[in-house]
Amino acid sequence: MRNVFSIFATVAPQVNIMLTLLRRYGTLIGFAAILLFFWISLPDTFMTARNWLNISQQMSMLIVVAAGMTIVMVMGDFDLSVGSMASLAGIAVAVLFTVDLPIWAAVSLALMVGLVGGAINGVLISFIGILPFVATLATLTMLSGLAFVVSGGKTISGRVIPEGFSSFARGGLSLGEWGGVAITLPNLTLVAIVIVALVWVLLEQTTFGRRLYAIGGNIEAAHLSGVAVRKLKLIAFALTGSTAALAGIMYASRVASANPTQGSSLMLNAIAGVFLGSTFSEHGEPRVLGTILGVLILGILDNGLTQLSVDSYIRQILVGGIIILAVSTSSLTKHLRS
Amino acid sequence: MTHRHKTLRALLASTTFAITALAATGALAQSKIAVITPYLSQPGTQFYVEAFQAAAADKDWDVNVIDTAGDVAAVISRIEDMVTQNVDAIVVNVDPSQVSAGLQAAADAAIPVVGMDAGSDPLLVTNVTSNGYAMAAETSTYVADRIDGEGNVVMFVFEAFPPVQVRSVVADAVFGNFPDIKVLDRVTPDVADGGIADSRAKMEAILAANPEPGSIKAVWAAWDQPALGALQAIEAAGRQDEGVVITGIDANPQAREAIASGGNFEATVAQDFKGIGAAAADVVSRVLAGDEIKQGVVYVPTKLITIANATAD
Repeated sequence: MRNVFSIFATVAPQVNIMLTLLRRYGTLIGFAAILLFFWISLPDTFMTARNWLNISQQMSMLIVVAAGMTIVMVMGDFDLSVGSMASLAGIAVAVLFTVDLPIWAAVSLALMVGLVGGAINGVLISFIGILPFVATLATLTMLSGLAFVVSGGKTISGRVIPEGFSSFARGGLSLGEWGGVAITLPNLTLVAIVIVALVWVLLEQTTFGRRLYAIGGNIEAAHLSGVAVRKLKLIAFALTGSTAALAGIMYASRVASANPTQGSSLMLNAIAGVFLGSTFSEHGEPRVLGTILGVLILGILDNGLTQLSVDSYIRQILVGGIIILAVSTSSLTKHLRS
Repeated sequence: MTHRHKTLRALLASTTFAITALAATGALAQSKIAVITPYLSQPGTQFYVEAFQAAAADKDWDVNVIDTAGDVAAVISRIEDMVTQNVDAIVVNVDPSQVSAGLQAAADAAIPVVGMDAGSDPLLVTNVTSNGYAMAAETSTYVADRIDGEGNVVMFVFEAFPPVQVRSVVADAVFGNFPDIKVLDRVTPDVADGGIADSRAKMEAILAANPEPGSIKAVWAAWDQPALGALQAIEAAGRQDEGVVITGIDANPQAREAIASGGNFEATVAQDFKGIGAAAADVVSRVLAGDEIKQGVVYVPTKLITIANATAD
């Protein structure tokens, strides 16, 4: 099969350019098609500032986790424990509120839990040499168990959650009026924007980031050329753990409560977002801005299909289908070019 | 190559087509009502959502049922989406204190939200539910009476979900009121698989730790799945003749069958799911008609199910 296509490819050189375009921009075209489709189907409600601010707020936690996940996926690794870490951080912050710690202290300590948990993943993977799948699967289970133990299996809600903490997720930065409607940039969206900017600078503008990409490209070559692979992996996993914890705290603020399983849906969606996002980049490597587009595709499908009254289970089938479509377009065209 | 290119384009096009076809199902009707729950895979939830839909069919409503598969923050997101769509009413089946951001968005848009077995909240018009305290009182007193107020009891609880949590509060109080009843273990099963399999595993461990016949007098479960798991464990261990009394709550079909067969599983409580769904639909239609609902909670009566009435409706 592939031979036939490569003959085609050699026959027509301009085909190469088209394939490059399709591979580089296929997902972008799909993204635009989805936007256009919802815009046409929901002319009054979809392409409104209000709806987009809603989407940005709804996706803010997943964006933070996925941005953090991108850091380790750049090295070709991944972290399955982010969902449990988010749950544990949410529980941690809520439990700390029950002992009357001020908000800043509880949030800082919960973030430390993420940093330490992520660093433990890093040690298991880079210093002990356990495969990321196995190491983070084990910590996923442990962190989840820990969240149950610390909370006693209960949902922590009600008066123990300070008003200042839960009102953070409801508040935002006023952007003035837009067509007679007050527009507010939600605080959760602001947090997500800040994290994305930080991860972007880290991965794209620093030596640290370039070295992570070098490890992802060829770990042996990176090691031989003097990159401190183990140390960098440790730091990368610690950062991923911290972002997962931050997302868990944001989640707890949004639902004004903490439950030992509430972060569990974040992990698979974050990985899906990074994979979808990687099809936007030139060589199929994860880039944080691509990840954000990937996550937005998932969020827009949720938002648009809900507004169209489409069965929520159909959305899951569509998301899986879109990932396969995007990644196979990218990989097929790559085969054709070579 | 052109052929391949066409295929890829066709793939993209067909996805768009599929979405369009799905969208066509959202036909227009008079009143748009959204039912939002993270718990649709639980049998109890399915029953009253179906009953609500049945009641809504007579009223010519366009009902959109949304399941967020366990994700509570997604319930807030879906409420926001429904507010964007400006639906006429929203029905939720989730602890309202966890989705107050969404309820506030609905309140700001003057869209009424009715709780269906949710919990009380000032942002809800009302909450339609069974009386969890009363149901747990029925089964825990049944257990206490059957074992003559004496012996070891295993409890299966789930405190993360408030409507189930209130049940264990009453059971704790009832068992605590009998000086000779000892609660051997308070187990929270993993419900990811529905709750039966993990409850069975937990019960098997407890049976292994308590091998003496008669060392476990009863199993009180806050809902039916753990009761069924415990029953399987007791039968698999060959200890069904020790007279261990098992009770559940909810009276799902499997539980009714087990009770009708006359084994260790002796009692459960039937919530009137049809009644809850119908009562919720009734509240919605009253709200749409402009009525003010005074009660914060609308209780729908329940019924103790034993071998005497397990096969009756």
